[in-house]
Amino acid sequence: MAEICCGVVGESESSCDSGSREARKRRMELRRVRIDPGVKRRRLELCSPRDCDNSLESCGTDTEVEVVLSPENGRELQSIRLPPILKPLLSSSSHLNGIDVEILPKFGIASVCGRRRDMEDAVAIHPSFCRREHETTVGFHYFGVYDGHGCSHVATKCKERLHEMVRDELLLDDVVESRNSNNWWKCVMERSFTRMDKEVVAWNENVVDSMTVSCRCELQTPECDAVGSTAVVAVVTPHKIIVANCGDSRALLCRNGKAIPLSTDHKPDRPDELNRIQAAGGRVIYWEGARVLGVLAMSRAIGDNYLKPYVSCEPEVTITERTEEDECLILASDGLWDVVSNETACGVAHMCLKGKAAAPPPSSLENEGGESSDKACNDASMLLTKLALARRSADNVSVVVVDLRRAT
Amino acid sequence: MSVASSSATFMARALHTGGNQDNETFHKFFECWIVEQSQHLEELVSATKDCDQEQLDGRNGRIVTQSELDERILRPKITQVIEHYEQYYRAKSRWAWNNVLSMFNPSWRSSLEDAFLWIGGWRPSMAFHLFYSKSGLQLEAKLAEIIRGLSTGDLGDLTPTQLGQVNELQKVTIREEKEISEKLAKQQETVADSTMVELSHAVTEAMRESGDDIATAADDGRVEASLATKEEGLAEVLRRADDLRLKTLKEVVSVLTPAQGVHFLIAAAELHLRIHEWGRKKDATRHQNHRGVGGGSQ
Repeated sequence: MAEICCGVVGESESSCDSGSREARKRRMELRRVRIDPGVKRRRLELCSPRDCDNSLESCGTDTEVEVVLSPENGRELQSIRLPPILKPLLSSSSHLNGIDVEILPKFGIASVCGRRRDMEDAVAIHPSFCRREHETTVGFHYFGVYDGHGCSHVATKCKERLHEMVRDELLLDDVVESRNSNNWWKCVMERSFTRMDKEVVAWNENVVDSMTVSCRCELQTPECDAVGSTAVVAVVTPHKIIVANCGDSRALLCRNGKAIPLSTDHKPDRPDELNRIQAAGGRVIYWEGARVLGVLAMSRAIGDNYLKPYVSCEPEVTITERTEEDECLILASDGLWDVVSNETACGVAHMCLKGKAAAPPPSSLENEGGESSDKACNDASMLLTKLALARRSADNVSVVVVDLRRAT
Repeated sequence: MSVASSSATFMARALHTGGNQDNETFHKFFECWIVEQSQHLEELVSATKDCDQEQLDGRNGRIVTQSELDERILRPKITQVIEHYEQYYRAKSRWAWNNVLSMFNPSWRSSLEDAFLWIGGWRPSMAFHLFYSKSGLQLEAKLAEIIRGLSTGDLGDLTPTQLGQVNELQKVTIREEKEISEKLAKQQETVADSTMVELSHAVTEAMRESGDDIATAADDGRVEASLATKEEGLAEVLRRADDLRLKTLKEVVSVLTPAQGVHFLIAAAELHLRIHEWGRKKDATRHQNHRGVGGGSQ
């Protein structure tokens, strides 16, 4: 979680069930703690009210988001509670031909600062993130991992907004007949990423004067133009897994113990990417690895306005039909992938999902959040994170594990 | 423990005399303290061995629980080691009160250690690197057991809550560390403030006019007064840095179970002692080479 290490303001997850006042209060407290006391008081005052407004605002519009990412006693890394609101409505959905709709996906998150001095990763999880009146989007779950560079604010913006953009694009009614086709998904994702990129760039320009940000770069031009983020987004539907990727975070499917990457890292020395960059008039310079113009070690990203058009925000989209053999989906920042291979990650997740079902570990004395917080997935994400740290990952590490096994 | 009393003795003596040769005395205190640390390290190691043994064999024919071992063996040992660290920082702050400059240029440290010091001591955020490195080594060693869900009792099987707490603590520590670094920067910049520039100019002029290399007593007084305020500022920065060091150490240990805490303290002591030793060896070698070149002169 980005909040853990960098004192970012705001979080997109909001709870809207009636009993969430307590939770919101707790989040406000957390937020107060989270504001960097190192910044000038003046900015701190500007920051807090805006922050609160945001949380109420998103509460009004986001009526289906049920995830509350709240600190347990202010100490829990992440606990997730899913109030059972949507069940009756969704179980009566006739559209889905009797397929067991996983309304409440099982997933686990771990996100730590690790050996870096700044936290620039952000994670967003939004189960059932589309409005319920659209039956075609029932049971669509959103998972995103963003790894910022330069500063954390672009990753934070992605965390706050990208799922909303994907949802907006999904709910556009103009092309109903082509809904759910692969091409449609591709367009949805591409439009969402482009909008996100535009918003980040515009936001940079507008916010420079108002001084409402407490991140490291303090949004001083031209520094804020040199800030960006990767984005790997997975929308899991009852039948498909749609992955859109921009940058070097990665989505991996574990199917029957085998590792199947659902995204391909955007590195500047990937032959097709190298061609694209050179065709656009850019250069890739090798300086501690291949870098666009000798600066950025990835060829696509959200933000990074000064490297456009060589660094593109266009995502590569893969659409995968779900099968009975699917075990889990892993989304992670390069803090994991730099030191853990796809096969190892898949193996660890496989063992956690399988092993934990049989025998709960003796170390499970603590209660891991609410009823839907999944122990096995949390253990898998946690173990992968610890493994990355053990293997001397020098970066922030963020791992999301989504259980894809059909409920029996 | 005769040596244990001796670091305490140095402290007591310093309190009485007010410490004329405070630098010298703290150097001795440090040497005693480090011998004690080495003894504590051995005791920590044997405490974990005793626990392993009792878990295996039981005690007087009955089964021993982890919590019993925690309370009877591990916690008291941890408390003792933490108190030893507290004693170190108490002593340091007393001597710093008399001579803060020596704390920024500690003669009792090797040049190797000196190069890695932050405001006269270890960098607080280093504790998290130590933590991640040690827990990482223990995790890799027992990965198979951990995946099977078996508890290893060491830093390898951190719970999600613990990892979250350490992560949170790291965030706060780095923030405080940055704040203190900023405070130090401000203090260091005052070296060239108006008073100092004016004073250095006036004294230089006076020396030139009198044709003498010796400044007047009046000038000496002004210099002393100006430097005193700088030293006070440095002492305050040092105090905050030492507070953060001790606080970080205690808080990391408080997140851990007693068994894990012992492993962490062992790693901390091992690293500290070995780096000190390696640094001294390096210094000795360099010193010898110098003597060789200089034809036996000191």
